[in-house]
Amino acid sequence: MFDKLEKVLMPMADKLGKNKVLLAIRDGFLITTPLIIVASLFLLFANFPITGWSEFWAGMFGEGWESWFTNVSRPVFEMVGFLSCFGTAYAYGRQLEGDAIQSAGIGMIAFLILTPTRIFFDGVPAVEGGDVAGGLSFLYLGSQGIFLGLFVSIIAVWLFNWVYRRGWTIKMPDGVPPAVSQSFEALIPSAVVMLLFFFIRIGFEFTPYETVHNFIYSVLQTPLKGAGNTLTAQLIYGVATTVFWFFGINGPAVANSVFGPITKVLTMENLEAFQNGTDLPNIFTDPFSNFFTNWGGGGSTLSLVIVMILFCNSKRIKQLGKLALVPGIFGINEPIIFGLPIVLNPIIIIPFILVPQVNLILSTIATNLGWIPYTTGVALPWTTPIGFSGYLSTGSLFAAVWQIGLLILGCAMYYPFIKILDKKYLEEEASAVAVEEEEISFDDISFDDL
Amino acid sequence: MKVVMIFDQTQAGLGGKENPMLPLGGKNMVIGSANMLDPYLKKNDMQIAACLYCGDGFFEANKEEVTKKMAAMCKKIGADAVLCGPAFNYEGYGEMCAHVGEFIEQHVGIPTVAAMSKECASTIEAFKDKVNIIDMPKKGGIGLTESLSAMCELAKMKVDGVDTTAFVEAHCY
Repeated sequence: MFDKLEKVLMPMADKLGKNKVLLAIRDGFLITTPLIIVASLFLLFANFPITGWSEFWAGMFGEGWESWFTNVSRPVFEMVGFLSCFGTAYAYGRQLEGDAIQSAGIGMIAFLILTPTRIFFDGVPAVEGGDVAGGLSFLYLGSQGIFLGLFVSIIAVWLFNWVYRRGWTIKMPDGVPPAVSQSFEALIPSAVVMLLFFFIRIGFEFTPYETVHNFIYSVLQTPLKGAGNTLTAQLIYGVATTVFWFFGINGPAVANSVFGPITKVLTMENLEAFQNGTDLPNIFTDPFSNFFTNWGGGGSTLSLVIVMILFCNSKRIKQLGKLALVPGIFGINEPIIFGLPIVLNPIIIIPFILVPQVNLILSTIATNLGWIPYTTGVALPWTTPIGFSGYLSTGSLFAAVWQIGLLILGCAMYYPFIKILDKKYLEEEASAVAVEEEEISFDDISFDDL
Repeated sequence: MKVVMIFDQTQAGLGGKENPMLPLGGKNMVIGSANMLDPYLKKNDMQIAACLYCGDGFFEANKEEVTKKMAAMCKKIGADAVLCGPAFNYEGYGEMCAHVGEFIEQHVGIPTVAAMSKECASTIEAFKDKVNIIDMPKKGGIGLTESLSAMCELAKMKVDGVDTTAFVEAHCY
């Protein structure tokens, strides 16, 4: 059965894993990740979920101290679409083995060509002087602009590099400094890209959408986002990531190339609402996935580690459990994945797939019932330990307790399966001892024959 | 056919990056990621006689001693073949695999196969002509089962004295 499954999955993972566009989108988001995490910490400090927190600091620094912090978080969050455009353009340029920074530049400019750069003020007639400001509205640069940013960067960078490779460039004579000749070489490719987006912008002005932003947002982003914001989509994502791991393939890396852009939008929308103090719109954000379904590394293996320590008798399993506990608390489960192993292990793969699914279903129900609040979208490092992560991502103490409850449930689910393995290992250990010593001693080893 | 596996701390199931100084040791049974190789070993009529392990940091600090001890142990056990890896993209482990593998093949005469991903570039460059190194995916990459199968198959071919030229060309660096 596994062979058949592998025959289906392998080519799929291979295709997704080698697709330069998807790799660029994934790596492009990674460029923005550190910025989002740091900005989240600023935002979290300004809105720490403890009663009296705000008043306490206001007593020291005066009213409005929060704005010091939100002045750092706001530019990051409200520019996230633009940042994704930059990151993806850079990463795609690198994928195509072209000039990455020039690619990033052309991607950003193509995006801005399509973006309104005049801001009209409500109720003031648009006549010369005073009522129209030159500027970029965050409306277009934030989460609403993520999808367009991705599209534009891919198209612009592909075209730029295509023209470049055809050799349609201005060649400078030898002796001209490389920086100068490179900028001239980029001139015609840049012109082609900018012309294309010039025409696209004009074209859309004649449609009811008026801007490409409006078009992408309503035709693509909203429906895709809706599809991603369902339990079914999340279940598929969960199965995909864990089944891939069975074959040794990094499941999240493959699945995120498809799901990543969608959950990114969902997360950012919650964050914006949180900043603005309005109702949080989405359940299935990145923090929800990281901290309520699949914490402790893929397969929520922290539960497994606890069972290994508390209830297993084979020396190997107990020792590995002890060694894997501390990394496991911080979400690192590499020793378990390869050391137990989970990869290509048909017994442990069953709870490895099931536990995150049960976490997902129960946490979705709990969120819908209002037991745990929607996640704020504040990005915590995925290594944040369970308990803390639940509290900080929702502001609810019950959410932290909920995580511990899921951890215990996970232990119960892993128990029967690891016990099967434990029994097998115990038998092996016993037979190894029966033959001779289980441990191999290097003490009396001789080098005479070497 | 008796096979000895050479592991680092992670693949032996004895810790992760935080445990690099795990001293040289071994067990005469299947441990850690050796389980992943199970179907391919069976297919080639192989049985694991022992798994020798050493933390990658410990190996780095005691290279010559560990290499010689591992080689002498493989001989003592009477191994028919030695599998060094799978080392994925763990550079320290990759170096141990190539170094130990080369020594065993050259000085003890036991057929050896190593496996690592292209990320271990400097090791591959230095050792690819001295010991067979199977091309395998990095951690979490695509094509693991194929490379595990190739490790076992090549070891079997070498033990049987079959011409491996075409196989090596297809699967090794």
